Amino acid sequence: MAKLSLMFEERLMKEVPIGNRPVTIGRSPDNDLPVDNLAVSNYHARVYFEGSRLVVEDLDSLNGTFVNDLRVERATLHDGDAIWIGKHHIKVDATADSAIPWDMGRKAAAPKINETMVLDTKMRREMQRQAAAMGERSQFSPGRVKMPTLIVLNGRVDQKEYVLTNKLTVIGKSSMATVQLRGWFKPQVAAQINQRDDGYYLGTGTKIPVVNGSPIPGPVRLNDGDLIEICGVRMNFVIRE
Amino acid sequence: MQIDSGGVTDLGRVRSNNEDSFRIVEPLNLFILSDGMGGEAHGEIASSLAVDTIERVCSSSKVDLEVTLAGASGENWTEQTRLLENAVLQANFGIYQSSQEHPEQRGMGATLTAGWINGSKLSLAHVGDSRAYLLRTGNLQQLTNDHSLVAEQVRRGIITPQQAEESEMQSVLLRALGAHPEVDVDIDEFDLFPRDVLLLCSDGLTRMVTEPEIAGTLQAETDPEKAAQKLVDLANERGGLDNVTVIVARLQDESKGWFSWLRRESGK
Repeated sequence: MAKLSLMFEERLMKEVPIGNRPVTIGRSPDNDLPVDNLAVSNYHARVYFEGSRLVVEDLDSLNGTFVNDLRVERATLHDGDAIWIGKHHIKVDATADSAIPWDMGRKAAAPKINETMVLDTKMRREMQRQAAAMGERSQFSPGRVKMPTLIVLNGRVDQKEYVLTNKLTVIGKSSMATVQLRGWFKPQVAAQINQRDDGYYLGTGTKIPVVNGSPIPGPVRLNDGDLIEICGVRMNFVIRE
Repeated sequence: MQIDSGGVTDLGRVRSNNEDSFRIVEPLNLFILSDGMGGEAHGEIASSLAVDTIERVCSSSKVDLEVTLAGASGENWTEQTRLLENAVLQANFGIYQSSQEHPEQRGMGATLTAGWINGSKLSLAHVGDSRAYLLRTGNLQQLTNDHSLVAEQVRRGIITPQQAEESEMQSVLLRALGAHPEVDVDIDEFDLFPRDVLLLCSDGLTRMVTEPEIAGTLQAETDPEKAAQKLVDLANERGGLDNVTVIVARLQDESKGWFSWLRRESGK
């Protein structure tokens, strides 16, 4: 027989079997699983069998019903799932029943590395905590907003500075270029900047740009303060906060 | 703009089934690639469901964009880009729903990278660790960010790109189609130039072949289908540890020399 166990932290508060009638959960004392907490709505959620499937349904609660960290309106439950309501959670035990076991075929907790898998929200949160603790080396660190900017020192272009907001920035005469070169015999695409995971990379177009005095051999990662020269235009790449 | 395209998918040298799917919808200039995951044959179900749904939604002109799904982006994008995003959201929900209805499919999912070219505008939608690249003037540029754990760590400055390439955690994804009823889809738009080459590929290519090699192959072989085949062959020569899928779309010159330019000008 499937059952639900209401837990507060690691303490068992109440246990109910799931029969033909839905199990109701909420702050009002007439619920099967009453949860005395202001974050819980009077009639918050219910759990019932639909055929052989065990289903949880949120009853338009204010603060929501979560199954294993995912907010749900209605979801199929599996053995070992946890329904979170406020600070309480309800363990789902569907073992002795026809309900579907959680880890048929695959286990989320111990991934095989060569098999592609999707990280669950708990692992993601853990990673974000780790990231915050590691400090900020990247050009896109969260916390502070950093704006990579090209500041024009001299040369004929359409603006004095350009904030790089796109994945691709074209420097050239083309009307589609972000940095528009002016004048005769300027190429359509002189050079381009590609935003990648670890920063901004300057690459060639039909011309080879010069960075800090040296022509670039291929795409190079730009650093704060780099001097770029292309088609008679000199620009500084800076990262503004 | 005239576009020539071709695609190749291959099992690789190690896997026993091909979970990748791709589709080239020529009349629309729509290119779709998906890499499935999940035990048994379920990765194939997920990726083909993704590709089918996106083709269907993008082909039907009746879709009412005012009725957007939850999570769809606002007004800053063209109608085409929003339609593509909508198609990806529908594909996500379709896979999620299927895995809810069929317990044996639980845990299946798919990556998705789709490019849709209209005139000189490219709409791109992306979830997962397949990639889109643009080769322009010999310079290969990545248009997508991988939604993988290691890529996120690189973006946050925790590890370097070199460490990411050597990591054992490369297969861990932060986002995929089918994992949740809703998904955050990366969408973007690009202006294309004549002779640009768009490349879509699954991670079976990018883990085996370096970017300079990809750029070199695309420059040396101008026939899209043959270029895709050469890249797949190269991945297999290196060990072919995963399924490999490559789509190449090459934009033709706008004009064939000064004569046609002259003719076009006088025809105005």
